[in-house]
Amino acid sequence: MRLRLSKQFSFVLNGEAVTVTCPPAYTLLEVLRHVLHLTGTKDGCSSGDCGACTVLLDGRPVHSCLTLISQVEGRNVVTVEGIGENVPKCYAEEGAVQCGYCIPGFVVTTAAFLEENPSPTEDEIRDALRGNLCRCTGYVKIVNAVKKAAGGIG
Amino acid sequence: MTAAARWVGKEVVRKDAYEKARGLTKYASDMFPENLLWVATHRSKYPHARIKRIDVSKALKMPGVVAVFTHRDVPNNRYGVFVKDRPVLCDDRVRYIGDPIALVAAETKEDAESAVEEIEVDYEPLPVVTDPIEAMKDSSYPIHDGGNVSRRTRITFGDVSKGFSQSKAVVENEYRTSTQIHAFLETEAGISYIDEKGRITVVAGGQSPYRDQHEIVSTLNLPPEKVRVIIPQVGGAFGGKDDISVQIHLALVTWKTGRPARLVWDREESFLSGTKRHPSIVKMKTGASADGRLMANDVEIIYDTGAYVALGHAVLDVAIENCNGPYKIPNIDIKAWLVYTNNMVASAFRGFGAPQVIFAMEQQVDQLAKELGMDPVEFRLLNALRRGDVMVFGNRLETSVGIAKCLEAAKNTPLWSRQADFKAVKTYPWIKRGVGVAAAVKGYTIGALPDRGTISVELLLDGGIAVKGSFTEIGQGVVQSVSQIAAELFSVDIDKVEIVFADTDKTPDTSVTSASRQLFLAGNALKEAAKNMIKHVAQFIEKTYNIKVDNLRFENGYVVGRDFKISFSELANAMARSGVEREVSGTYEVPRVQPIPGSLEIPHLFYMFGVSLALVEVNTLTGAVSVPKLVSIADVGKVINPQTLTGQLEGAAAQGIGYALLEDPKIENGILKTTNLSTYLIPSIKDIPEIEVIPVEDAEESGPFGAKGIGEIGIISVAPAIANAIYDAVGVRPKSTPMTPEKIYWLLKNKC
Ligand code: FES
Ligand code: FES
Repeated sequence: MRLRLSKQFSFVLNGEAVTVTCPPAYTLLEVLRHVLHLTGTKDGCSSGDCGACTVLLDGRPVHSCLTLISQVEGRNVVTVEGIGENVPKCYAEEGAVQCGYCIPGFVVTTAAFLEENPSPTEDEIRDALRGNLCRCTGYVKIVNAVKKAAGGIG
Repeated sequence: MTAAARWVGKEVVRKDAYEKARGLTKYASDMFPENLLWVATHRSKYPHARIKRIDVSKALKMPGVVAVFTHRDVPNNRYGVFVKDRPVLCDDRVRYIGDPIALVAAETKEDAESAVEEIEVDYEPLPVVTDPIEAMKDSSYPIHDGGNVSRRTRITFGDVSKGFSQSKAVVENEYRTSTQIHAFLETEAGISYIDEKGRITVVAGGQSPYRDQHEIVSTLNLPPEKVRVIIPQVGGAFGGKDDISVQIHLALVTWKTGRPARLVWDREESFLSGTKRHPSIVKMKTGASADGRLMANDVEIIYDTGAYVALGHAVLDVAIENCNGPYKIPNIDIKAWLVYTNNMVASAFRGFGAPQVIFAMEQQVDQLAKELGMDPVEFRLLNALRRGDVMVFGNRLETSVGIAKCLEAAKNTPLWSRQADFKAVKTYPWIKRGVGVAAAVKGYTIGALPDRGTISVELLLDGGIAVKGSFTEIGQGVVQSVSQIAAELFSVDIDKVEIVFADTDKTPDTSVTSASRQLFLAGNALKEAAKNMIKHVAQFIEKTYNIKVDNLRFENGYVVGRDFKISFSELANAMARSGVEREVSGTYEVPRVQPIPGSLEIPHLFYMFGVSLALVEVNTLTGAVSVPKLVSIADVGKVINPQTLTGQLEGAAAQGIGYALLEDPKIENGILKTTNLSTYLIPSIKDIPEIEVIPVEDAEESGPFGAKGIGEIGIISVAPAIANAIYDAVGVRPKSTPMTPEKIYWLLKNKC
């Protein structure tokens, strides 16, 4: 049984200060989805295997399902809702979105990756996205979307 | 319809894509109604046991617990489409490791999860039957009354012994394929509440709102008008949400407590309790004459349905129908069994029984071509079905048959025509390259079973139209395709088309979203609705304006007659003022065929066809196989949207590669050991090669604008194409999936 005692946690979420009250054993993913009902960040496995829950913690992509809320205290979190429109637009235009459940995770990973590497090769793209699983697309159009977002095509 | 298509065949970006990519779309798992109860499921700890006692008293006393439900709360505790063999909550027995026994509804997730642990069940373990061959024996412990063979059938045409005597080459093999897990990214999920009209409303991932509604009302003994089912955007399904998962459980909680509820399976529950692709054993003896004609196919098919039948009876039919490949064969003898075991429940998965038998048949065909010294594509072309041919079941093919076109396209693909160049590429001395081909066939629509669908169209006051149907958006893009067909038929801009889907309260019954049928059914029903709308509008105009109209048509947002023109919005407003119905429906019914004796739904009237070409690299030191290039060719009738079409085929190819090489569920004595995505591996972006998609358009006159189904064909021939390529590379033939490094390593080792 998990600890039931709730505590307060404060952090910056998509540019705004937030305070939540929840058990310290909650993950950031649980806080986002179950407490704040900010559901752009998806839960595909809760075990660090699929990347659907990817958010930026102080600018670096992390699995929010493996990040305890206590680790987030005082830090800066950006979710898919806080990512600019270029990357999502390129995913949509390239047809990389089918069921779409995995896509927010891809969008967050891509945004962080392109920040570091604005003109990647295809191999670099595939390496960067290796932790994000998609069951629908076969990844072809996802690679194209990242290329497009990087200004490579289109 | 205007002469040049404006929307059909156009690459239009999916309307739902951007919102999904921003994280703004609400899937069932994203919904948190006010004052909800969290639901958790107590599941069987044994693959097979008698239940002696269920004690929920401790759980009921746990903090936050509002209610605990068992079979005693379910009025009719059995459901199932073909056989009512599945309990909503287990009563006397559990039959597989994830079988649900009780539900806890509590104020918080933690409360529900802790209380589930406090439920006590006394079991008397029973013999566990996991091998389908054992299960078929009379001595095996019966998992259900009536024994472990749920269905057996035999279908023969011609005389196989005569066929073999006329054959120059005969090959005989046994093939096995493993369970495949759908592993959609959104697990089975839903919420429930009482809506404003007092109905128990279930919002859950699924593929057929009316069928889900039917299963809820029949098990809970409720009148249909008391239950509403809505299927929002679904985070992947692939057949795995064709059966009931959370729906009845949610309805039960809300029915009994009056409160909203939320039930989302975690990944492990999804892997254990969700349905799977049937594992199979297929024995085949196939003969061909000296001039390369297939003469006979003698087949035994055993599909393991696990603890319950689910859609297994229909899956077995599809296996029987497709085990001869897209070929003319004068003599066939097919025996098939659907067998209960204490393994996980198998049901629908993209391909619906076809991938297993095509894995076998396409390797048979490859061996026959080799033995006769023929090119494998030419051999297939020689035997390929053509329009007007009599198929193996004596039925004449009067609809589109694009297999020859697909094979011609394969022949002209550089990977085939210049395969020597591809194979000559040197990497390391221990890496061997090979190229393989395989073909596939599958019926779409529900074959000889009744199959109809209705769509309605409403003229909106702002000049747009609302198209309503119970089809579900499981990622495949049917909403987009239907929008494009509607925009074309009504000659309006696509932004003027609103789609209302999958809500038993708001949409007519378009029936199930499976069997690659929905684009075809919804598109054809929409055509009928457009015709009916013309009639309806003509009547209204004649009555209201007192003019005689003929030759009415839709043109760029206007209804145009011989000497007048009225905009959609003007018309809709005029109708509203006069209190005239603005919604009209259309129904399409698939022409009925008589099922052949011994089958439920064979034959289909409509078939789709495909060919895969694979280039593989086999590491002869480790046995590891990779696929640097895959070509997917499919006869799609007519492309409605090139982007969604290629997306479907690329995704199917990736699932096929996973099935062929990676996806390796470890099941020991009925217990799945690989219960997460780090032990059951689905392809990542690093595993998927360059995929080239070649659509072949062999128009189906009965289809909307010539279109056929497309959802399933892409996966079926992938695994055998890879198997044939492995043989081409290293001369060993893996006759089972997945073709893991260990398997190939030992085959190579035993060869030398
Ligand atoms: S939900 Fe976090 S990695 Fe899958
Ligand atoms: S789009 Fe469905 S999982 Fe990626």
